[in-house]
Amino acid sequence: MRLGLLLPHKFKWIGFLFFIPSLIIGIMSRYWDFQFAALAVPKKGTSIFTSPQNLTDELALSGLIISLLMIAFARERHEDEFINHTRLESWQWAVLINFLLLLVATWVFYDESFIDVMMYNLLTILIIFIIRFNWVLARNKRLEEKN
Amino acid sequence: MQNTIKVERAIKSMTQADLAEKIGVSRQTINAIETNRYVPSTILALKMAKLFGKTVEEIFSLERGD
Repeated sequence: MRLGLLLPHKFKWIGFLFFIPSLIIGIMSRYWDFQFAALAVPKKGTSIFTSPQNLTDELALSGLIISLLMIAFARERHEDEFINHTRLESWQWAVLINFLLLLVATWVFYDESFIDVMMYNLLTILIIFIIRFNWVLARNKRLEEKN
Repeated sequence: MQNTIKVERAIKSMTQADLAEKIGVSRQTINAIETNRYVPSTILALKMAKLFGKTVEEIFSLERGD
């Protein structure tokens, strides 16, 4: 059985390479108001396309989403039905844990800090999936060496 | 579900890697099947049976609770 929708294996590393700078720019723009002067858009109006703004945060979030998608959807070196099974199971875990965390956060965080939670929540499904999937693969490798 | 893949492999003196290569999966997959952490698809079960020259039932059998 072949699962479509997967990228070549090298995207795991390409994604990681993009993830680091996107994360740094994202954190800097969110907490220290860092902006690239070249990305300023001096337009008039109220929509996101016409109001004066800087595109640094848009760039950072796009970079984070795209790089995490690359890592999550990269084919393993030897993609077979067992890896495929682990992959699907890990998505199931990711969705479940993501919403459990969101449920807890709903009751724990308010106002401004909840906005932060929502922002992190944009990425947590992908992050939990990547951690869980790779953890299971690493555990299998350890078990295999033991046998 | 139980299986006798380890025994069949020993009879043919094949390593997990040999078997993995012959049926086109990773060594990790063979290991997971042998240690009952993963139930293979019918396709994979048939491929293994064919390779060992046995029927699927001779290699795989149901356990209590299956």
